[in-house]
Amino acid sequence: MIVEKVFDHIANWKKFWFGFLFLGSVINAILQKFDLVGDSPYVLVVAFVAGALIGLVAKIRGVWL
Amino acid sequence: MRESPEIAAEFSFEKEKAIAKSFSQRFQWEMILIGLGQAAIWLSLWPLVLSGIIDLWVGFLIAILCACFAYLPSHEAQHGNYSRGNPRLRWLDGFVGHITLITLIYPYHLLRVTHMKHHAYTNDPEKDPDYLNAHTSSVMKVIKNVLDGSTVDFGKYLEVFSTDKAFVNSFKKAIPIALLYRFTLLVLVIIFPLETLLLWWLPAKIGTVYTTVFFSYFPHLGTSTGRYQNTRFWSHWMPRYLNHSMQLHFIHHLHPGIGHYDEPKAVEALKPFLLARKVPGANNIPDRVTLNPLIKI
Repeated sequence: MIVEKVFDHIANWKKFWFGFLFLGSVINAILQKFDLVGDSPYVLVVAFVAGALIGLVAKIRGVWL
Repeated sequence: MRESPEIAAEFSFEKEKAIAKSFSQRFQWEMILIGLGQAAIWLSLWPLVLSGIIDLWVGFLIAILCACFAYLPSHEAQHGNYSRGNPRLRWLDGFVGHITLITLIYPYHLLRVTHMKHHAYTNDPEKDPDYLNAHTSSVMKVIKNVLDGSTVDFGKYLEVFSTDKAFVNSFKKAIPIALLYRFTLLVLVIIFPLETLLLWWLPAKIGTVYTTVFFSYFPHLGTSTGRYQNTRFWSHWMPRYLNHSMQLHFIHHLHPGIGHYDEPKAVEALKPFLLARKVPGANNIPDRVTLNPLIKI
């Protein structure tokens, strides 16, 4: 039952979690390369929020592009 | 197979099949080498890049090449062209099929069953899993569809073929592998974000675009249904060596057992049959295909 719920959640929210984890990690790594913002303590938060937002928009639209 | 009265006895299906069979015997060692080789090269990129021996952008370019070479060895496996009906060699189909697709992040079982349905129902808007790829207005649209995942709506086909037990079983076998791929990708991206992006995710996307454009879009563009009508001979500016000779994909649809590298010779031998059967574009097939780049500028 729990496993089924987990699978359902993954199926419904896969775009959001992919955006949050995958895009968030990538955006964070890219921002870290820039001296201007790389040292800011907020970079991590901004990167993962941006990734989550992109994923959320993709979930709502049903497609990434 | 019931013959059309328009087809002369000399171009009968039986004769066509006998010729095709003579090209369907050879062990496909090149494909095994390419499949396992590209996977080994792709895997070796990780330690080479992470230890700084090669630059990430070099690794990215090599990974793209690996991804572009990844599908065809699996495709031969999907048709059982390594084992060729020998039960003792069946493991080889699965082994090469699985390993080579790691670069493209696709489960072998899923691609095998959907590809078999593509062959059975080519160009059927409801039942052909590749239908969207070939019936799209432009290459750019195909690229967009691939990148946003519209062309891999495999869930739809699970419903369409819900009464086909073999299809459903293979589909279910693919789910844990698909989840493992996703899990691995997400763990790796947290630890090595840019490496995961440039060595795996982006090359896999580019490889999938390449495969879809040349294996699905161009060969089936403007074709209809029916054994001799669903795939065409085509040519364009790109030499066939750069697009895996997909100008000859029609011969694969007619006789999937013909090994990929034996297709040019098979097309030469079967050309009179293809003309008699009015395969789309057959009039433009040159007499000599072997070593011919099939360029049309």
